[in-house]
Amino acid sequence: MGVAFVAHCLLNQNSKVGEGAHCAGVYSPVIDVLRAKGWRIEQMPCPELAFSGLNRFWGVREQYDTVAYRRHCRRLAVAVADVVSLRAEQGEDIVLVGIEGSPSMGVRITSSDPERGGRPRWPEGTDEHTGGEGIFIEELRGELERRGIGFPRVVGETHALAGHDEMAQQAALEDTLDG
Amino acid sequence: MERDERSYRIALTADRYVNPEPDGLDGLGVLAEAGWGVIQLPAEDYPAAVADRILAEVAEQVQEFHRHGYDLVLVGENDKLAGALAAVGVAVPDQVVPASAAGLRAFLDARPLPAALGPRGHAVGPASAAGHPAARDARE
Repeated sequence: MGVAFVAHCLLNQNSKVGEGAHCAGVYSPVIDVLRAKGWRIEQMPCPELAFSGLNRFWGVREQYDTVAYRRHCRRLAVAVADVVSLRAEQGEDIVLVGIEGSPSMGVRITSSDPERGGRPRWPEGTDEHTGGEGIFIEELRGELERRGIGFPRVVGETHALAGHDEMAQQAALEDTLDG
Repeated sequence: MERDERSYRIALTADRYVNPEPDGLDGLGVLAEAGWGVIQLPAEDYPAAVADRILAEVAEQVQEFHRHGYDLVLVGENDKLAGALAAVGVAVPDQVVPASAAGLRAFLDARPLPAALGPRGHAVGPASAAGHPAARDARE
């Protein structure tokens, strides 16, 4: 098997933005699949938790895409890239499990709304989801490229998206793990 | 702020309990079943500089949970954790080095309600643990 670098919140839903936790602690629909298939788990840090804290508002890329936040994400990415390098040198197969819809941890879908700001009053279900990577994932990609390490296969957990289908999610995860 | 499903309980967990050897203790399984979140500590084979960097990040996150009254415990051992936590003004949380799944579960079940839930089990903060057994018990 190999090593799965997972978004922090997949092991710790307490890190989620308020009202965002989907379960008490460990998000088993992903973690159980990884463990059943014999993948080693490496938890990545939650960039938003350390930067904006537990009382942060739900945010989109434009709110986080500042010089200071990117510097913070680069610092975290260096630490993750250190471990990716270590496992790659050991010949391990590597995958990255992100969070679709996240402004930081999205791997194919992130959140974007150039107009969002000021007093929070947007309704639930606004269409901020859009194709692309989150800011931390971009910085991790850049750090791995600087080291000459290929970007790993990726899959994104979709529980934050409208139309989340757990069976489809599990199939996508297993396809990614199987390479 | 509406309630969500978080438990307000987090275990700083040594890697050997997250990625156990075939004959090792599956701490992650016990923690998941008990509704605890996990912050994974650096693996023993990490170079020292890498482990130090990661512990510094862990400490920043722990400080945020600590100041909001989440319950924190240490599962297993890590020689450098105390120093990293001291740098952000947080003491090493209560610790267990479990010999069995039952022992770990007993330790977790004996924990008091997280301060974030308040004396009666209601959340004092951004969200409450609506689904947490301890919170339900305290309301009944």
